[in-house]
Amino acid sequence: MRSLLCGVAAIVAAAALPATAQDTNLRIATVFDATGVENWQPVLDAFMAANPDIAVTMETVAGSGAAMYPDMLRTAMVSGDPADVFFMWGGTVAGPFIKAGQVLPLNAIYEQYGWNDRFPPWIVNRLGVDGETYGVPFHGQGMGFFYRKDILDAHGLAVPTTYAEMENVCATLIADGIHCATTGGKFGWHVMRLVDWFIETNCGPEIHDGLNALTESWDQDCVVGAYQTLADWITNGWLVPDFLNVSPDDARFAIYQGSAAMILEGPWFEPAIAEAGVDPSVYGFFLPPTDHAPDRYSAFPEQWMIAAGSDSQEAAAKLVDFITNADTIRANAKAFGASATIGITPDCTTQPITCQIVEIVQSDRPAYPPTDQAFEKELMDSFFEVQDGIVAGQLTPAEGAALMQERAAAWKAAQG
Amino acid sequence: MHVAPRPRMTAGSWVILAGMALLSLIWLLPFVGVILTALRSQGDMMMNGVFTWPQEFLWSNFAKAWDVGDFAIYFRNSLFIIAMKVPLGILLAALAAYPLAKMTFRGRNGIFLFFLVGLAVPVQVALQPLVIMMRGLGLSNTLFALLPPYIAFGLPLQILVMRGFFRQIPTELIEAARVDGASELTIFRKIMIPLSVPPLAALFIIDTLATWNEFLLPLVLTSAKDSRTVPLGLLQFQGEHSSQYTLLMAGVLISIIPVLVIFLFLQRYFVAGLTAGAVKG
Amino acid sequence: MPSQPTAPFAPGRARFRARFRGRSGLVRLQPYLFIAPAMVFYLGFLVYPMLVSLWTSLLDWDGLSDTSTFIGLQNYAKFLFADEVARKALVNNLAWTLGALTIPTAIGLAMAIILNQRLPGTLVFRTIIYAPAVLPLVAVGLIWSWMYNPNFGAINVLLRAAGLGAYTSGWLSSFDMAMPSVFITYVWGSVGFPMILYLAGLQSINSEYYDAARVDGANGVQRFRHVTLPGLRESHVIVLSLAVIGGFKVFDLIYTMTYGGPGRMTQVLGTWMYFQTFQYYNAGYGAAIAWVIATIILLLAVPYIRHMSRD
Repeated sequence: MRSLLCGVAAIVAAAALPATAQDTNLRIATVFDATGVENWQPVLDAFMAANPDIAVTMETVAGSGAAMYPDMLRTAMVSGDPADVFFMWGGTVAGPFIKAGQVLPLNAIYEQYGWNDRFPPWIVNRLGVDGETYGVPFHGQGMGFFYRKDILDAHGLAVPTTYAEMENVCATLIADGIHCATTGGKFGWHVMRLVDWFIETNCGPEIHDGLNALTESWDQDCVVGAYQTLADWITNGWLVPDFLNVSPDDARFAIYQGSAAMILEGPWFEPAIAEAGVDPSVYGFFLPPTDHAPDRYSAFPEQWMIAAGSDSQEAAAKLVDFITNADTIRANAKAFGASATIGITPDCTTQPITCQIVEIVQSDRPAYPPTDQAFEKELMDSFFEVQDGIVAGQLTPAEGAALMQERAAAWKAAQG
Repeated sequence: MHVAPRPRMTAGSWVILAGMALLSLIWLLPFVGVILTALRSQGDMMMNGVFTWPQEFLWSNFAKAWDVGDFAIYFRNSLFIIAMKVPLGILLAALAAYPLAKMTFRGRNGIFLFFLVGLAVPVQVALQPLVIMMRGLGLSNTLFALLPPYIAFGLPLQILVMRGFFRQIPTELIEAARVDGASELTIFRKIMIPLSVPPLAALFIIDTLATWNEFLLPLVLTSAKDSRTVPLGLLQFQGEHSSQYTLLMAGVLISIIPVLVIFLFLQRYFVAGLTAGAVKG
Repeated sequence: MPSQPTAPFAPGRARFRARFRGRSGLVRLQPYLFIAPAMVFYLGFLVYPMLVSLWTSLLDWDGLSDTSTFIGLQNYAKFLFADEVARKALVNNLAWTLGALTIPTAIGLAMAIILNQRLPGTLVFRTIIYAPAVLPLVAVGLIWSWMYNPNFGAINVLLRAAGLGAYTSGWLSSFDMAMPSVFITYVWGSVGFPMILYLAGLQSINSEYYDAARVDGANGVQRFRHVTLPGLRESHVIVLSLAVIGGFKVFDLIYTMTYGGPGRMTQVLGTWMYFQTFQYYNAGYGAAIAWVIATIILLLAVPYIRHMSRD
């Protein structure tokens, strides 16, 4: 009975395969939700129109938290059947795939298509490992504070340009019962953005980079200072309380409803505001001040990668070239957010904040990676553990810094 | 078959009913949340919270969810899986449980134990080997890839339950049938199965619900859109950076209709079981 | 009674003789034939993957590359001696299992007894109690997270409105209350299952036993102790053993509601295994944890089932 079923299945599967043997079939894997897929269909259609011998299908694994997409990718790769082109976040999320040899190295292809001129250098650098580039930039996501202009105006507050001014803003707001910022601790990476900012402010660019590279010890004064800042923000009520297991999406309730004034997000937040059905005109954007020169901000790339196990690497490269091409992006603006391709500016009248962010991303202003793109997940979970511990008052800042260093050292030892 | 005596509505009965009614209200609170969210606009929910009366009833959420969520395809797939897997799995389990309960043969206890061991296996562990196997069998990305693992992982529990209830059927009945010349298969069909309607119905409900909501295996084994099941379809409403909660909840409500129907339909068999062929003497 | 077996399925005593003396091959094979179809699926799609994972647990492998190193029992040693989170997870599983053994079981039994009576509306109540099983996990996780939201959620809002503000809590966000909060959701969702099994069991008890007991002068409580409870024996075995098994395998609800957090407070073996395998790329260690889960269940639940299965 089972062999009959297998036979039937094989016939059905074969019948479902498109067209002739000459056609190449590309599969592109992404994390888009239903709206994203809808917006992307014209892009794929345009590519297929320009390349009649290539058919492209998109597979998506949506779902927040980046939890399930890597699982699907991984299982597909292990079974020898990966998508030809796939979306990936920058940094260490891609690390295990690169290490396992599942990603095509792209230096040669960069030369071939002239991609080195297409993107800001800092983004391409982030996508490289040991001198070889493994991905092609899709988005350049810069992050900062989205804030309620109306709330700040009502309290006579201007956008802070130094950390001291920030403290003043928060103190004024909480005196009126409004929290400075809202955050959601589930998964850890939303609170991490604040902690990253505290580290940059307390330690400065060089030490921050050293901490990320594990060449600096985490058990030092400036780190303790950063954790102390976090603890202070909690005790002062500057953050909406009891957020450790609130999901980052749910943290937005507070700013929509006006019980908090700011939230640390990236360009994706602007369409989210619109989708949420709240009034977008009261929202503004500013970068968190770090009191350092250079005044860096947190940013990360999203990229396209080509699977080493793909049968159609040339066609895959063509597809990637097409979807990172400035003309394609301009023609299908809805499918692209803060595009990393130089020369793309979103419509500044309908998307003012994205416009503002893209300008920053494509400028010379240096950026630091969020820690979860500098650390591999196993070490990152220790970072989150310390962060949560300090928020809950289970760890003092000094204890937290010491614990973090202990874990970092153990990690480093286990790698060597 | 034990049936409680005809009810007399004593004061005690009223107290029980009142208590159950109160408990039911609390029990249903999350469902109220689902329904309220499905009926409002995203903005309304963001501004006013979940457990408030909607400002406006957005019945269009359902049509939109159906479209966006490609529910036609996912329903078809999920129903197909249920229709193939549940009866087949329970049948195989019952067939295996019968000798384990009512026959003596070499290795009987060993085989029963062997099946029980499967209860201890967490399903995540099997994911990767299964993907490779399915590829080898040429079933990658088809719905058929889901059937064998579903059946295999459902067997331990179903065999345990059926064996338990088969054992309670008096052996005298079976011996009598054997004396009359009935084959084991006939005994199975005409005695064991009809007398086991309550546990069969219970297993049917449990298995249908578990399979309907099962998520991990389809995620990994069938990522092609045409082979996806309903829980994966619900994923479509959750984006990387934001989620369409209202459409998601509308989709949830749509997706539970078939199982509710099956559940309500099978409830009757509990009662039918009360009156069907009581075991006497 | 005929005395000459003339066909494979010869009636009566002759058949018994045939079975025991193997004179009729087909009859002797019958038990195995009944079992065979189930066994094929079982061996191929459960046993085989499990054996593969046993091999994996002896490796240092990221689950992705073509290369791996054989390291013997080192993964198990790491679990026992070098992993604090694993220990915390194990403690959480023990607490969860104890809870699962007692609370949903007791409530389910109570519901089954109450709702087995022919009172109006019992069918509706049964449906309501079992209804949570109908909801997909994503909905359960979301709605309960919203209910538990410390600032906007229904639970704290109602507590404050009732003047019980002192009892508000961070719930899922609190280090102490996170695990109990998830457990409460679990109880809500899982009471239906024991209820159904106990209902099936109650309805299978021969009413003659109750009549006999009444004739002997037994009162309600005594009838419960001496007729109902023993009659539910098979249901008990299933419900209790599944509680133990579920308690050590628990994964879905915790993964969805708390993701192991805050900190590591709600990590259990199931989620820790998942993190190790799928996020830390320690496929070997993750497989070892899976085998630890399986071994614990085998040691705890299976002997119990065996014991109760003897006549």
